[in-house]
Amino acid sequence: MKVAAGFALACAVAAMLCAQQLKLNLDHLAAKASDSVDVSLNNNMLQFAGKFLDGKDPEEAAVKKLIVGIDGIYIRSFEFKQEGVWSQADLEQIRSQLKAPDWSRIIGVKSAEEGENAEVHVCNQSGKVTGIVVLVTGPKEFTVANIVGNVSLESLADLGGHFGLPKLEEQKKKK
Amino acid sequence: MDWLEQELQQALGRKEPSPGFDARVAAAANRRRPVLTMPRWLAAAAAVLVITAAGAGYRYHEGQEAKKQVMLAMRLTGTKLIRVQMQMKAVRQ
Repeated sequence: MKVAAGFALACAVAAMLCAQQLKLNLDHLAAKASDSVDVSLNNNMLQFAGKFLDGKDPEEAAVKKLIVGIDGIYIRSFEFKQEGVWSQADLEQIRSQLKAPDWSRIIGVKSAEEGENAEVHVCNQSGKVTGIVVLVTGPKEFTVANIVGNVSLESLADLGGHFGLPKLEEQKKKK
Repeated sequence: MDWLEQELQQALGRKEPSPGFDARVAAAANRRRPVLTMPRWLAAAAAVLVITAAGAGYRYHEGQEAKKQVMLAMRLTGTKLIRVQMQMKAVRQ
């Protein structure tokens, strides 16, 4: 009985995770890209990597704190030398998986002049954020970052200030 | 025969070995040299140590690779989010 209950629970959890983890079929873009990043880290790898992050280093400490609630990180980022390499179908392939009621787009910025598009989608389940997708596209760029698990956007944005990136407030002051 | 020939004859002349020479040579040839042998447990322990060290080294390498991937992922996501925030600020202004 306990085994059956455990199996059912595992299936339910797996189903939840599947809903948050996107299928990123973008391999065809990798061949055409001048620069590409492909990151696929599941929970085991994240926890394993966490053991090697140095708590004394400010950057690594911030990341170590952040990955505690994360179940997976999946990123595909491509930069191209020419425009028009990726198609609208590539974008739709991602968007079609970000459907309500679980997923909601919380940010959408479009720059018609520069042809850039940025979207942030959040997966809410039982009032908890269980997944984030950041989708940034430009004429020569296509990036999708899928973070599965409990993570706050503030914590992610706080990573600015680390990694040599200026914080947003500082950038404002400079202007 | 001058003195030099005499000297040479004496020096190079056949001499009988001392008594028991052949027996001593045969005994020395038959004497077995001691072979340095390592206890089996020591060899096994050394093998285990080498395998463990290699495993630990591989695990460390894997960990460093995973760490690099995590840092790259966070750097990239953080950068993109900041860019989104900046675009939003620009739109608002």
